[in-house]
Amino acid sequence: MKILVPTKRVPDPDQRVRVSSRMNDVDSEGMSYILNPFDTIAVEEALRIREKLGKDVEVVSIGVGGPGYEQDLRTALAMGADRAIWVESDERMDPWNVACVLHAIVKREKPSLVLMGKQAVDDDSNQCGQFLAAQLDWPQATFASKIEWDDQRCRVWRETDSGIETVMLSLPAVITTDLRLNEPRYASLTSIMRAKRKTIERCELHELGVENQPRVNLVHMESVSTERKCVMVDDVGELVDRLRNEAKVIT
Amino acid sequence: MNILVVVEHNGTVMSTATRSALTFADQLAQEVEGEVKSLVMGAAIQGVVQETSCYSPVLVAEGDELKFPVADRYAVVIEKCVRDYNIEFVVAASTTFSKDVVARAAGLLGGAMASDVVGHNLQEGKLRFRRPMYAGSIIATVELEGSPQVVTVRATSYPPATPKERTCEVSTIPGTTATLPDHIEYLALESKQSHRPDVAEARIVVSGGRALKNTEDFEKIVGGLADRLGAATGSSRALVDAGITPNEMQVGQTGKIVAPDLYIALGISGAVQHLAGMKNSGIIVSINSDPHAPIFEVSDYGIVGDVYTLVPEMMDRLNAR
Amino acid sequence: MPVNVPLTREVFGNIDSLSRGVFYVVTILAMGCFFWGIRQRVQLWRKGRPSPVSIDWSQLRFHFGQWVWSGRGRLKDRLFAGWAHRFLFCGFLVLLIGTILIAFEHYGAVLFSKDGSDPLFHKGLYYVVYEIALDSFGLVFLLGTVMFAYRRCRGHDSVKYHWTDSVLLFGLILLGGTGFFVEAVRIIHERPAFPAVSYAGWCLSIVIEQLGISSEMAGTLHFVSWWFHALLALAFLAMIPYTRMLHVIAGMIQLVVHKPSLGVMDPLLMEEVERTGRVGVGHIDEFTQLQLVQLDACVSCGRCQDACPAYAFGTPLSPRNLVQDLRLEMDRLQETNLSDTVSDERSEPEHIAETSGCIGSVSSEAIWSCTSCHACVDVCPLGVDPLTLISDMRRHLVGEGALRGSAAMALERMHRSGNPWGLPSEDRLEWARGLDVRQVTETDDFDVLYWVGCAAAYDPRIQKIARSVVQLLNRAQVRFVVLGPLERCTGESARRIGEEFLFQELAHTNLETLHSHRIRTILTHCPHCLNSFQNDYPQFGERFVVKHHTEYLRELMDEGKLTFPESSLSTGSRTVTYHDPCYLARVNGVVKAPRTLLDQVASTTGQAVQELPRHGAQTACCGAGGGRMWFDDTSGTQRSDSRVDELLASGADSVAVACPFCMIMIRDGINAKGESVEVKDIAELLVESLTHTTAQD
Repeated sequence: MKILVPTKRVPDPDQRVRVSSRMNDVDSEGMSYILNPFDTIAVEEALRIREKLGKDVEVVSIGVGGPGYEQDLRTALAMGADRAIWVESDERMDPWNVACVLHAIVKREKPSLVLMGKQAVDDDSNQCGQFLAAQLDWPQATFASKIEWDDQRCRVWRETDSGIETVMLSLPAVITTDLRLNEPRYASLTSIMRAKRKTIERCELHELGVENQPRVNLVHMESVSTERKCVMVDDVGELVDRLRNEAKVIT
Repeated sequence: MNILVVVEHNGTVMSTATRSALTFADQLAQEVEGEVKSLVMGAAIQGVVQETSCYSPVLVAEGDELKFPVADRYAVVIEKCVRDYNIEFVVAASTTFSKDVVARAAGLLGGAMASDVVGHNLQEGKLRFRRPMYAGSIIATVELEGSPQVVTVRATSYPPATPKERTCEVSTIPGTTATLPDHIEYLALESKQSHRPDVAEARIVVSGGRALKNTEDFEKIVGGLADRLGAATGSSRALVDAGITPNEMQVGQTGKIVAPDLYIALGISGAVQHLAGMKNSGIIVSINSDPHAPIFEVSDYGIVGDVYTLVPEMMDRLNAR
Repeated sequence: MPVNVPLTREVFGNIDSLSRGVFYVVTILAMGCFFWGIRQRVQLWRKGRPSPVSIDWSQLRFHFGQWVWSGRGRLKDRLFAGWAHRFLFCGFLVLLIGTILIAFEHYGAVLFSKDGSDPLFHKGLYYVVYEIALDSFGLVFLLGTVMFAYRRCRGHDSVKYHWTDSVLLFGLILLGGTGFFVEAVRIIHERPAFPAVSYAGWCLSIVIEQLGISSEMAGTLHFVSWWFHALLALAFLAMIPYTRMLHVIAGMIQLVVHKPSLGVMDPLLMEEVERTGRVGVGHIDEFTQLQLVQLDACVSCGRCQDACPAYAFGTPLSPRNLVQDLRLEMDRLQETNLSDTVSDERSEPEHIAETSGCIGSVSSEAIWSCTSCHACVDVCPLGVDPLTLISDMRRHLVGEGALRGSAAMALERMHRSGNPWGLPSEDRLEWARGLDVRQVTETDDFDVLYWVGCAAAYDPRIQKIARSVVQLLNRAQVRFVVLGPLERCTGESARRIGEEFLFQELAHTNLETLHSHRIRTILTHCPHCLNSFQNDYPQFGERFVVKHHTEYLRELMDEGKLTFPESSLSTGSRTVTYHDPCYLARVNGVVKAPRTLLDQVASTTGQAVQELPRHGAQTACCGAGGGRMWFDDTSGTQRSDSRVDELLASGADSVAVACPFCMIMIRDGINAKGESVEVKDIAELLVESLTHTTAQD
């Protein structure tokens, strides 16, 4: 059995993200990057499935993007993924086009399961897994908080606004992970060194027969002031009023 | 231009978030001279259909196969509806339902989708959407390429629509339930044991700190306010250590890292260990009796005072509406 | 009594030659048994990793002298058991020497074909001294065993007894008792000329004679009891390698090769890891040979367990149980070796699947529970080092990816952002807003670097400590600089958690920064940073002059650079107490400087200084060391619970601390109990005492 784990490289959410001078991208100067936390959970879950089902499970990590992805795929390999595929591309890709790339890889690799984060913490789109499932016409389970294997099917507990929903998926399927699914293991520096022996296969968009056709054009970006200026209000009435009409966070 | 609103409901009533999506759709319709229709899917949904018809014309897809909101079936129905009625805009509220179902539909419709939209405008004949990125620290303006386009909107950014005086037309989509996929078997929905959302997931978090003296007070003050706002409750490590709140409620370096739209810190001084867990929140509100408490330095709004008097007052204000 | 009767006695008197022959054979058997056992054990120890051994006999003399003569050594904490052990040990030693001397006499006499009644040297004054000494130490020996027996009956829960221990102890009492009995019946039987030299046996003989034992009966009794005593003694000899008595030998080895330095960890080399594919210790034979000897030196006395803060809190960790569990695992190594010579079973896949990575019955919870406070290392009379055993196993667990949750998050953040909270480096000087603080990049004109540390850079409460230190430095007109945004976490927590290579990465970055700015002297208010510069960093680069702020400030006071106005306040009713940080007091021996400063504070503010029951090098851990600060599995203040109770029981109105971790833990602990005792760093108290006196003026 093969599990595909697509991953994304995202700016460290602990850091301050600044908008670049062109106002349509973030300033990558001095920025440190990490494996998208939800994808890290997906890698961990794939490894746990392998630990449970045994050695014949192969965990393949995939990255779609520019230079630097190698480092983050190494993190996935250090955690324990068997191998990695790096689709090199310098272009900015929206969820639709990433899904198209993944679609092509799925056709080639023929996995039983695609396990990925519910969203990347940079663009926060929460679309890619659903797009891929739609393109493949595979069953999907988003926001998984627990996965159990039941013969050739798997039972997934989903975190929804109205509670925990359980669904049974026939394989192959796409599952996207939520925060509570597991606690990822720490990829120690030693394991990162060791992972250097594992292979990262490189390929390019045209080799997969995919062309980047943007669906989303990023026109402009602006920082929401991270430097908070605390407005001291005098009474609760004013506070509720400001939250409703100024910050628009309550109805 | 035809606009379709995908209605979320619990079988009996439409969700309030969907009413915000209807407001957005109405604004859009005015700006681009379009027409709004609503799509209600499910089984035995007469009540919801009737309620929806007070806002816009309704398309109904009803059948036992649609009893549960299973993504692959619902997405197929939405896709068919979009194609049959020449829909150019699909709109829904940004909830786990539409993140699951509507995003999949967008995948069938070509992938032009903007999630979590908090604002929009029409510029040079093109629609532009504003949506938060990087956990809300950046607002991006995006344009979508191709048609149809799919948009989910944040309920807090658009006020809920008000019902029209007359009810609108209701029509049933024919033959939708004939060839639906069945790869996903819906098993159960287990409503939350706690009636409150999980602290790591919630859009609003009300958190309590050392000012709360015991579990009863915490429940009354922090829990009370959280329930008024549909929020989750969180706590500082001090309360967990003192046994006032359970471990899983802890927000901070050694607890949950949260980034809700609104974080309300009640009686929390703001040790770095706590700040590390919530500093990425959208709006931070603090109430603390110490005017020098470090929490104010990371807050957007603050009141100096006793949570025991201010919070009940705040709950009254929220009820008054 | 005729004067010409020689002062001696016949060796093997009353023992016929057949018995003697049998005795020789049994002795050889017993010694064979002893040496075979020792050989087995040595072979077992050699299964460990070879490690450099430097023998230091003076250590043995030092320890021996310390606890035998001064009575103040490592056995200090338990007076009764300490003396019992001293009696038992000294008695045993002298009796052993006596027996060996007798053997020399006997075999010497045989060699020179002398008659048993005409000894070589076992006569005259020598004989008198010999008999008195042996009787005296025999009594001391008996006293020791009886004291131990009493202690055992009374029960002491920190000592873990095995049933064989009771058998051993009973055997020792029997051995001592029969020794005197043999002597007594011999005196009755042989009627030696001057029996009073064997005064204890003589007294006993008078009692026995009163019971109506005749000389002939005594002869028979002597023969029987002599055999009993002899066989018992030989049995003990034979049993040494197989029972707890092995600690006599392992402990001796341990003491001469022991390195008594606290706070030092052996560095790992990446090349070595690449070569062996192994990080830390995941299997019993990956410990060093000396560590395996340590396991045998442990007698399960439980002093470490009594001193362990993790055990006191109720975590699965007991340093003693850990050592004993590992010892069992070492025994198992011998068993598998005996039953099956195919020792390659570890390379089987099932061992790989078992990723828990723990050895034997040692749980990973126990391994993660350690606060690395060094109390166990410091208290062990035989220098057993459970902390290094734990650190080695932690390294393995981290390498295997067994670390999860908040501690893993803290390590990732140290890796990415250079501090455990993942906050931006450019914010590292926020604490200094409005103060006169120069960065190292702004000037070359400085005497000392003030190392601020992550806690003071980011935690609003700890920032106040740094602000106080700076105010005092400026008052004393010290030319100091800070690194500001160039500073990174020292990696101390990472190293103690077991992520050696993350530590080394951080250390190299910091060393480069320090080197490029030609830093020689470092001042810090954090004992963990201090220990890192003192003990960790010199392994990878320069050695700096490192001072804790309490030491530095006291020097400034001594030099007259930092002065405090005189106060006429008389001592009031308020008291202040001081909590020693483990890494300052126990590990780095800084005990006096903070107290001098505290006395200064007390004299200006009119407070009385009160010592806690556990203070100085015997301080109790706050629970945050060893990376525990970053774990979320048990809530923090409970770990400092017993210490907080101690603080509160002292009745002090405020607690002075000298470590950011202690500050956070103690303060949270006190708050969790709803108490209002103030917790302040000594630097803060000094600054306050300044304003206090100006207010008085």
